[in-house]
Amino acid sequence: MPRLPPSLFWRAHQISPHAPNLLLACRDLPSTALELRWIKDHITTTPSTTTPPFLRLAHLIRLRARGLPLQYVLGTQPFGTLTIRCRRGVLIPRPETESYTLELADVLFRTPTRSLTVVDLCTGTGCIPLQLFASLRARFPSLAAHGVDVAPGAVALARENARQLGPLGAAQGVTFHRASIFSPAAGLPPFPAGEIDLLTANPPYISRGAFARSTARSVRNHEPRLALVPDGVPASVVAALGCEAFPEDVFYARILELCRGWRPKRVFLEVADGEQAGRVFL
Amino acid sequence: MITAAPWVCRSCAWSLRRASASQFMRRASTGGLPPALLARARKVAAEHDQLSAQLEANYDPKVARRAGEISRVATALNVFEKTKASLAELDGLLNSDDAELRDLARDDIESATAELTEVGRQLSVALTPKHPFAHMPCLLEVRPGPGGLEGRLFADAVFSMYKTYCENMGYRARVVKYETADEEGMGRTGGELALQEAVLEVQDEGAYGLFRGEAGVHRVQRIPVTEKTGRVHTSVAVVWVLPSFPTDGTEAESDWENPESDFYIDPAEVRTETMRARGAGGQHVNKTESAIRLTHIPTGTTVSMQDSRSQSTNRKWAWMLLRSRIAQQRREVREEHARSIRKGLILNNSRGDKIRTYNYQQDRCTDHRSGQDFHNLTNVLEGGEVFGKVIKSAESWLVERDIQEILADEEEVVPSGNKKNGGK
Repeated sequence: MPRLPPSLFWRAHQISPHAPNLLLACRDLPSTALELRWIKDHITTTPSTTTPPFLRLAHLIRLRARGLPLQYVLGTQPFGTLTIRCRRGVLIPRPETESYTLELADVLFRTPTRSLTVVDLCTGTGCIPLQLFASLRARFPSLAAHGVDVAPGAVALARENARQLGPLGAAQGVTFHRASIFSPAAGLPPFPAGEIDLLTANPPYISRGAFARSTARSVRNHEPRLALVPDGVPASVVAALGCEAFPEDVFYARILELCRGWRPKRVFLEVADGEQAGRVFL
Repeated sequence: MITAAPWVCRSCAWSLRRASASQFMRRASTGGLPPALLARARKVAAEHDQLSAQLEANYDPKVARRAGEISRVATALNVFEKTKASLAELDGLLNSDDAELRDLARDDIESATAELTEVGRQLSVALTPKHPFAHMPCLLEVRPGPGGLEGRLFADAVFSMYKTYCENMGYRARVVKYETADEEGMGRTGGELALQEAVLEVQDEGAYGLFRGEAGVHRVQRIPVTEKTGRVHTSVAVVWVLPSFPTDGTEAESDWENPESDFYIDPAEVRTETMRARGAGGQHVNKTESAIRLTHIPTGTTVSMQDSRSQSTNRKWAWMLLRSRIAQQRREVREEHARSIRKGLILNNSRGDKIRTYNYQQDRCTDHRSGQDFHNLTNVLEGGEVFGKVIKSAESWLVERDIQEILADEEEVVPSGNKKNGGK
């Protein structure tokens, strides 16, 4: 990480006495000013009865200065039309995910059927199935969105997020399951072949080396490694799927294996880069 | 003078009395209407008489429609003239010898004056051409003029002036964009920030009509906070007033889709860029990168928006701002064209001319178009009632100008008419 010149801290101090602390995490003045404003907005829009605003501001700034992602500090991340709650231990929804989810919703909107089933594996906060459900529920009378994750914390958070769709959304349509895709027998509903219209997944896809080299510091230090690097999979399973050379592809191999049984009409997978895409899809 | 209040300071009472008297004097002569408007009303009424005579001879639906359109003006003028005549009569009675008659006249004159004002207002409403965007909500865009920090700071003062004015007046306003510059000396500026660009949306219908007189160059003369030797600097901030759509409007959607509309933009002509750092994306980074930039390729208009954490919100606002800017540009091109046909008969008010000066040393705000001075600058900059008066003066100037333009147009249409009376 390059060193920041002291003059930058002086100029930050002139914006606000809190700004130099934020600068530690933001690394430049424009984004410091912007984040300071967002934190202040957050405090005014979510009033607290117990803590005075200046203490909350100081507290949140301190958290952010430690490098905690802004999304964890504020507890939310806007995603399409929704505001997804975020919490430590669950991956933060990314803008790339947001943009392709909205694109997928557009594509699905033109499907000439009355019912639709979407399944998202490694769902995390549940942002993908929730946004698809929110965009499509007016169009499809019977719409089912499923999210699957192995982490209990993620499933709990996803269910919390489902509640913001209103009582209807929480009651029917969106369901979250805690299951491992490597042993799906427990916890996963049986999908008959051909029932799934869209299968999406944003699985952990970063290799060990890339995790050490090319991830941002706040990702490395504060986001769950489980959602980023697929190195918790037993070596025997990796070998059985034929991914010894590239263990970061193991989730894709498993998902494609599942697809042979489920026969989804469409599959959408997020990958790291062109190289990985070549290995997964060709 | 007897007032409803039990005790009023004598000088206050005196000033109140004088104010009403002077108002009365003004109304008595023209009924509070600009002479140009009255001239136009007479012209329209004459046309109406001629048309109705023509209609009696032989019926023509085209003529009938035109007659119907202007009948409102003719009726209003009729009532206006009558009221004025009766007021003049009452004025005459005031000088009569009979004391009882004088008292009666004095009683009646008050109600007659009120009636005349009302009728005059109706007449001007019937006559005043309505700006095609006047019924819309608007976007107020404030940018610093060329120059350094001082202009940016003043732009911030102007922006907060409009913001608090909207709050005071109870308009639904919200800040769409507020971008400050990253500059040396930022912060040490007495509460003002170095503004780069700010946009305020006033969501009330008709806000465009209210604020359209505000567009132009606002000049400030003051000693900047950053100035060490105490010299007075002059800098400017530019205000743009753009039409916008009500956010909940369903008709708005259809209007965007309509290629005839000023607001129509072909999505193929717009380049969208999301601004984000280079390098690995996706799971590798978690920075909030919601900034977006739209470029309208044919006109080169760019809009960038980064105020919200949500990219879709930024995109929505950026599109709205782009639409408004393009619509305003199209409208201006058309008005410019119309004006060039008129051969500069009318005082041209291009954006290059300053419209208003805020002088801190003299505690004065001057509107250069209406030529009026207003004191109590603090109140103006706080968006108080004095600022309301400033806006009103600009608005009435605009109405006057619109009417003059129409008169000038008619001079053009009827070449036999004497040119001396048209415009300035």
